[in-house]
This record gives sequence, C-alpha cells and structure tokens, in this order.
Amino acid sequence: MLTRINVGPIHPSTHGVLRLVVTLDGDTIVDVEPHIGFLHRGVEKLAENRMYMQSESYMEKLDYAAPMAYSDLYVAAVEEAMGIHIKERAKYVRVILLEFQRIASHLLWLSAFCNDLGQMFTMFTWAMKDRDLILNLLQDVTGSRMFYVNMRLGGVSIDLPQNFEEHANKLLDYLEKRFKEYERFLEKNPVFIERTKDVGILKREDAIALGVTGPVLRASGVNFDVRKDYPYYVYEKLHFIPQVQTKGDSFARYKVRMQEMKESIKLIRDALKLMPEGDALGMPIKLISPPVKEKEVIVRRELPRGEGMIFMVTDKQRPYRLAIRAPSFINLSALRYIARGARFADLFSILGSLDPVMADVDR
Amino acid sequence: MSDERFENAKREMEQLVAESLKNYKGPVGAFFTNLKEATKAIASGTIRWSRKNSLWPMQFGLACCALELMDFGSSRIDAERKGYLLFRGTPRQCDVMIVAGWVTKSVAPEIKRLYEQMAKPRYVIAYGECAVCGGPWWESYNIIKGIDQIIPVDVYVVGCPPKPENLFEALMKLQEKVGGKIED
Amino acid sequence: MKIEREELIERLRELSNSGYNYLVKITAVDYIDHLEVIYFIRNMQNKKEEHVRLDLKDGESLPTVIEIYKSADYYERELSEMFGIAIEGREVKRLLLEKWDGLEAPLRKSFPWGSDYKSG
Repeated sequence: MLTRINVGPIHPSTHGVLRLVVTLDGDTIVDVEPHIGFLHRGVEKLAENRMYMQSESYMEKLDYAAPMAYSDLYVAAVEEAMGIHIKERAKYVRVILLEFQRIASHLLWLSAFCNDLGQMFTMFTWAMKDRDLILNLLQDVTGSRMFYVNMRLGGVSIDLPQNFEEHANKLLDYLEKRFKEYERFLEKNPVFIERTKDVGILKREDAIALGVTGPVLRASGVNFDVRKDYPYYVYEKLHFIPQVQTKGDSFARYKVRMQEMKESIKLIRDALKLMPEGDALGMPIKLISPPVKEKEVIVRRELPRGEGMIFMVTDKQRPYRLAIRAPSFINLSALRYIARGARFADLFSILGSLDPVMADVDR
Repeated sequence: MSDERFENAKREMEQLVAESLKNYKGPVGAFFTNLKEATKAIASGTIRWSRKNSLWPMQFGLACCALELMDFGSSRIDAERKGYLLFRGTPRQCDVMIVAGWVTKSVAPEIKRLYEQMAKPRYVIAYGECAVCGGPWWESYNIIKGIDQIIPVDVYVVGCPPKPENLFEALMKLQEKVGGKIED
Repeated sequence: MKIEREELIERLRELSNSGYNYLVKITAVDYIDHLEVIYFIRNMQNKKEEHVRLDLKDGESLPTVIEIYKSADYYERELSEMFGIAIEGREVKRLLLEKWDGLEAPLRKSFPWGSDYKSG
C-alpha cells in the first residue's frame, strides 16, 4: 500500500520554498516529485526593457548565496557584445574577489547541510561566523555586505584598498586552521559518516545523461571544470587542480566542496603575488552606452554551484532576448533519479548535498 | 405650618443621606474594592511586561533576506538576549511573523493560511524592500506588491537587504508597541 | 548548424552516438513571424560544442528528444509554458507557472511588459 506525504513549501529544513510530494512504500521511497515556481518573477522578461547595465542588480538576486559570480557573468557577456577589453589588473582583482565569494558560498552550504543532518546548530554557528568575517572583508572593498554591484565595463568600480594584502593573508591563515578543525570534527563522527556514506549514489553514465554540473558532476568521476577547459581571465597562469572523486555518494560531494575551498585559498595567495600595479577602474555607468558590435553572445563561467551560461541576442540599447542557464535548475531535476529506493530519512541528506538555491531554480 | 415644612425638610435630608450611604460598604468593604482595582492594574501591567519580553518569532525566510535573518540569530548579533528565542517551525507557538523575501502569487495563499493559524495576540514585521512594497520586482507579472495587501503589518524595515542591526531596532520598537508606550 | 524540423530526431541521434552526449540547454528566441529553437550539445571527451538550430512557424509542434537525452525533460516543460509551444510525443505538465490563469505565454513579444495578470 502506497502512502503520499507532502513536504510542504514552508518547512524548517528545505533550502527555500520547495514542495516535494513523496510516494512511500513503508519506509522506502518510490517516487519524488518536486513542485517549483514559488519564487518565479520572470527575470528574463524584465531584462528585455532595461538598458544593459541596469539589469546587473537583477542578476545578483538570482543566486543570493554568491551574488558577485552572477553579476560577473552578465557583465562579461555585455563586454563581449560591445568588444571592450578588460584591463590587466582588473582581471586579477576580479579573480580574487570571485574566489573569496566561492569560499563564502561553500561555507553557507556547509552550515545548512550539517543543520539538516541533525547537528542542531553547532556547525551552523561556526561556519556562519567564518562567512561573516569574509563578508566584512568584502565590505571593506566594495561597501556592502551582500549585494555589491561592483562590476563595470572594462574593470571594477572601486580598486582594492591599501592594506588589503595583509588583511587577506591574515584571514586566509585563520581559515586554513579552521578547515583542518572542521575536517577533524566531521570525518570521525559516526553519525555523519553513517548518514552520508553510500547514500544517494550517482554513477558516471547517469551523471552525464542527466546533465548535472558542478561539484555533483565532479563527485561522480567526470573531470570537467570551466576554469580549466574553457579558461577565462587569468586562470591559465595560476596553478590549480580540479578536485574529482569517484564514488558519487553524499560524502564524495561533501569532500569535493571541502577540497575546493582549500584550492581557492591557494589561488588567492598566488593571485595576490602576481598582481601588477596599475589602474583597475572600469567605465562609469552613463545613459548612452557604447555601440554594440555582435549580434549573439555566449559566455560561460564556473559558478560555485556549477556551470552557468548566458546566451544573449542584442539590440541597440537593450537585450532582445536574455537566456540564462542556471546550474541549480538541472541539479534539482536529478533528485528524482537519485532518491529512488532510498529511505525517507536519507532524502534530506541527498537534497542537501545537491545544494539547490531556489531563487536560481525559479529565476 | 412650620411643623410640615420641618417634616419635609427632614424627610429630604434622610433620603439624601440614605442614597449617599447606598454604596458605602464600611471600612472593610472599601479596602476590598480598592484591592480588586489594584490587582487588575498590576496584573495587566505584568502581562504586558512578560509578553513584550518573550516574543517568539516564526522563521519565514523566503529569499535573500533570509540569510540576514540567519545572521541575526547567530552569534554576532544575538537575538536571544532580548527574548527572541528559538525560531520555531510551527505557527501555533509563535507571536511574531517576520516576512523576509518577495511574495509571489503561488505562495500568497500559504502565507495567509499560516497567519490565520497563529494564536492572538499576533504581530507581523515586513523585512526588506520586497515585503514592504514589491521591491525591485515592481513590474513583474507574478509578484504581489507588498505583503500588506494580504495581512496587516505592524513594523516596516527598509533596505535591500537591511542589516541585522536594523532588525534589532525594529524588534525594540515592536516591544514598545506591545508594552503600551507607543499609543496607536 | 541549421536543420529542418523533420530531421531533428535523426540528427540528434547521430550526434549522440558519435560522442556528443551532454545536453547543456534548450532555448528559444521569438522573432515575430517565426520562433527559433536552439539546442546546445557538448562532447565530454574533447570538450567541443555544437549548436543545432531550427525554425518553427505558428502552430507547429516540437518533437520530444527525451529518449536521446534524459535531461531534456525540464527544459521542454519550461519552453512549452513560456512560449506556448506544443510538444508532441509525450504529455508535459506545467513547471514554473502552475496556477497560471492568464491567456498568453509570458515570454512572447505580444505579452505586454509590466502587466499585472489578476486571477479570476
């Protein structure tokens, strides 16, 4: 006899507003059907009547855990449409700020994931405090804690302050110590290991067929990272390794993100050493924008949650069509295939390790 | 003749004295009446003081402002020192509903149902531009322009997103409203 | 590469058998007399990409590619409700706008920008 349970839109454990209709046979899951669209506000339609640089603040509110990554994706698309070259120092500044944003986004994921597994706010308060320190550093640079809007055509809006290098190095030393402590705390904990090892296994062929991206794809054995395969900015000069695990369960996805945070620390230190002197400011925003040269533009970036892509058909002053490929949209669609045959209590371990942000899914 | 007028005057005086003595309960009776009034005043003041110092909020993070709400409950700006303990999941145990994030036409019936399930006295805080007036999504086809089109709001907090210190000040203003200092 | 609507399924099957096995996105653009549907497909071995385009006139339906790529499910559902395209071959349910009671598809150019569709 099958029972149907509604895990409703407002729930203390789901990552946002998501309704799951779960069909159970005893304790085993037969089918999961996500209902989405509770946060849909039509960003692609809103951008069709705004000037190019007016939609930058719309793009930031798409993924509110890592807003600078989306704003960088959009401004890069506009720069390619207008044929504008980015200054050399500005590339390094963008890379440093984006890697800090990646660490902050993964810390937010870690706190919510451990909260879902029943740790009752211990990891939550520790990881949120570390994220707060990173947000304070970004506030020193750009002036705001959460929505920065600091990318301009050809550079950034404000250059790094004088004492940024020593503050950043102090913060990175502190974060390295904390990450060692987190690993020691979590990987020897029997409850954490039992709830994440061998739970929600996704094989390599299924991962490619389902179209998942980001850490979910890399945890199943596929070596694909946009920073290595379609490199942009200065990632060819910096030396890093994309982290790949082969097992494909929740523990592998956790391990990939933990290692990615450590690689980001190395990237920031290298970029701080190689950064040249000079000017990093971009064009200020004016009413009449530079003339547009290309008709269709495609840009890819590695967002913290996966691979994001913008496809834009341009008009004179505003985009004719803006199509956004959100990584969380397609990651959430894989939940149905992964959760078949698992127990009901494992559903939140799987959903937490896929890391969807609902404003990104609904756009 | 003077005897009749004297008799009438005496009768009127007796009536006046008898009327004024109707509500007189003696010295012990007067003490108990005053005690009843005094207890009522002390009790309502105590109830108001205890209500305003233990408002339990319901977690209602819909979108980006929810991250600042999580920061408000964690260790830098501690919400628990003023009595806002333990963000609860169920509306039956809460007093305050903090709406953080934009409200679309699909979520609106759920919010209305949750508001009606809260027990009185109940209060609502609109946190962030999207809950106050629709925010940057003013011209979208799927958005309700402000939460006060569905439920009554007590305090509005403005910003995108407002800093957690602003929410702290808003909760202190709500405390004054509950405790009776701000006349409405 | 630009193809016709009738040869869509066999072309995609050829591509998927020769190593292009990862579907990135299906999207559409509304030029007012016709619609252009674009498929982005990638080869995971040598990391090359292929864009397959086709034109759809008013009233034509799009054949489904779910047997070739499993990830086309969500993309086709979103396309059918945002542009009003009918998908032939399987039954599609609404994805993002479940209780939509407006009459037109929102991302077409004929849907007025900034309008407020009230229910009822």
